[in-house]
Amino acid sequence: MTRKIAIIGAGPSGCYLAQALLKQDATVEIDIIDRLPVPFGLVRYGVAPDHQGTKAVSRQFARLFERQGVNFIGNLDICTGAHGGDISLDELRAIYDVVVLATGLSSDRKLGIAGEYLQGVVGSGVLTRAWNDHPDSEKAELPVPGKQLAIIGNGNVAMDVLRILSKQDHEYDGSDFGSHHAESIAAAKVERIEVIGRSPAGIAKFDPVMVKEIGKSAGLKFEIHDLDLGDASDAENPKIAALNGLAEIEPDETRCTISFRFGWSPVSFVGTDGNLTALHIARADGSETLELPCDMAVTAVGFSDDQRLGRMDLIDSAADLGNGRLDDGLYAAGWFRRGPQGTIPDNRSDSQVVAAAIAQDLANMPESNAPGREGLFARFDHLTDYAAWQRIDEHERASCAEGRLRNKLRTRRDMLKLALNVTETTQ
Amino acid sequence: MKINILYGTETGNSEMLCEDLESEFGDDHELEIMNLAEVDPADLDLSVFHVFVSSSYGDGELPASAKPFAEKLDNSDTDLAGLSFAIFGLGDSDYETFGQGSEQLADMLVKHNAQQVGPRVIHDAQGDDLAEDVAFPWFAERVAEAEAMSDAA
Ligand SMILES: Cc1cc2nc3c(=O)[nH]c(=O)nc-3n(C[C@H](O)[C@H](O)[C@H](O)COP(=O)(O)OP(=O)(O)OC[C@H]3O[C@@H](n4cnc5c(N)ncnc54)[C@H](O)[C@@H]3O)c2cc1C
Ligand SMILES: Cc1cc2nc3c(=O)[nH]c(=O)nc-3n(C[C@H](O)[C@H](O)[C@H](O)COP(=O)(O)O)c2cc1C
Repeated sequence: MTRKIAIIGAGPSGCYLAQALLKQDATVEIDIIDRLPVPFGLVRYGVAPDHQGTKAVSRQFARLFERQGVNFIGNLDICTGAHGGDISLDELRAIYDVVVLATGLSSDRKLGIAGEYLQGVVGSGVLTRAWNDHPDSEKAELPVPGKQLAIIGNGNVAMDVLRILSKQDHEYDGSDFGSHHAESIAAAKVERIEVIGRSPAGIAKFDPVMVKEIGKSAGLKFEIHDLDLGDASDAENPKIAALNGLAEIEPDETRCTISFRFGWSPVSFVGTDGNLTALHIARADGSETLELPCDMAVTAVGFSDDQRLGRMDLIDSAADLGNGRLDDGLYAAGWFRRGPQGTIPDNRSDSQVVAAAIAQDLANMPESNAPGREGLFARFDHLTDYAAWQRIDEHERASCAEGRLRNKLRTRRDMLKLALNVTETTQ
Repeated sequence: MKINILYGTETGNSEMLCEDLESEFGDDHELEIMNLAEVDPADLDLSVFHVFVSSSYGDGELPASAKPFAEKLDNSDTDLAGLSFAIFGLGDSDYETFGQGSEQLADMLVKHNAQQVGPRVIHDAQGDDLAEDVAFPWFAERVAEAEAMSDAA
């Protein structure tokens, strides 16, 4: 009897899970399902467009579909209860022996301070999805950068945002950053970027290499404030050393100044006529406050649940969350299981643990005649498959501008045109 | 020939490359693939030709799965005299420390008296080449060299 397994979410954790499951038990039939018509999750839609080496991990995932018999089913939105979607989680569980939730955590965590909904304040998830041409961005109203920007947060995503807002148009060779984005950032001629972190520099969340990389772009001058905070002024500390490296850069001509401030918390955004004009920050002990004029502010303070799958209830009632067990035949992996921390490699080890639990449980699972994918094909005619992604991929690579690697299709409509119509005409 | 292939990885590219080497060369040679995380330097079989495959992370450091091996080797006086090895790197030329993880590992093995066969080649994640396209010809050459050496001995 072939076990039918549905992994929801075609990001790193879903793909690594399929890989690890096949190593445990090559007889299982695996479908990786995604609400988007195309696979790879944040590898395609989160990892920065100028970090193609990191995106290259998708070659590993491609192999699942090209050689290892895993099936991709795109354009199928799974939901719980009243959240719309194409099919409910319960219905899906009835069709498959095992369902794994690997849908990530895509909503921007809010700061919960005044003015957060002013025009000009944007979450890093919304912004990086737009920069990566995620189809949900089609309707997103993005602020246009002006002369003075603020970035709140000190993680690697904040550093991605800072790098992209401070790099120059011509520095994107070999990337897949859309020219429309690069041009609108260049047109803003950003003069000052304030980067605000709550922790002292020595224990900030960023990786030192991410900070060093920002210094590679010409014409940037750096002000590093508050390095002496706490006991974190140790010059041996690689984070401090990376910041000191930036401070030493003396550009011939300064086009933009980047100011890092450590040990500050955001207090409020203020604006006029609904538009952001400044960010107020304060010391943790309230001893000092500061007003930073800005016309765009990016909050990069982590991610949270989009609440469409009843995650909190599932996690609270989980049988054995440590190994990904939520309920009989229902599992969780990746950011959905662990919360929004960790890099691509962390998801790999995480998925190996969950795969081991699933393989163990499969051995004791009663026989079933779950229809698996046939149950979906009988019900839906809008699903996309891996061949559809290959057509989209080929089209995107063939239609890109000089110096770029691909030109992403920006709307679901355009993707589906290529994904679904072509199948009809070739029959 | 018997060949042990040892990999150090974080995102799995190095492991996948080793599996590719197995499919490509497994019929002609007796290959054994191991994760460096599960290997103790003191247990290496010095009479067997070893091929190391490792990526780089951080600031030219070794990937997580190779670190315990490297630390153990570094902190020991394990003598690897008699061991011949070849090493293949995975890296990304966006980083100034391109390929330094595998370089560290090679240096460390040599310091402990192992003998390196042929050049260390690094696959660049930025490039168009697939890792296997770079590694297959490299592997065939290294194995030929190792065979010639053992014939001569
Ligand atoms: C902006 C950004 C940049 C990053 N850069 C790096 C980096 O450079 N290096 C690194 O190692 N890590 C990076 N990370 C972290 C890395 O992306 C995550 O660790 C990883 O993607 C988490 O994997 P996941 O599979 O759990 O989630 P995701 O990658 O988010 O995948 C979830 C998938 O589920 C799908 N989905 C969601 N809801 C549903 C639903 N209801 N029904 C069906 N499908 C659904 C989504 O479309 C998506 O494809 C970055 C993260 C972000 C946010
Ligand atoms: C955070 C990070 C840091 C990296 N640092 C380096 C580096 O210093 N030198 C290098 O050559 N490659 C570096 N790389 C590239 C990896 O070595 C490359 O992607 C490789 O293919 C990964 O192989 P693996 O999946 O086996 O770990 C880095 C990659 C990441 C994601």
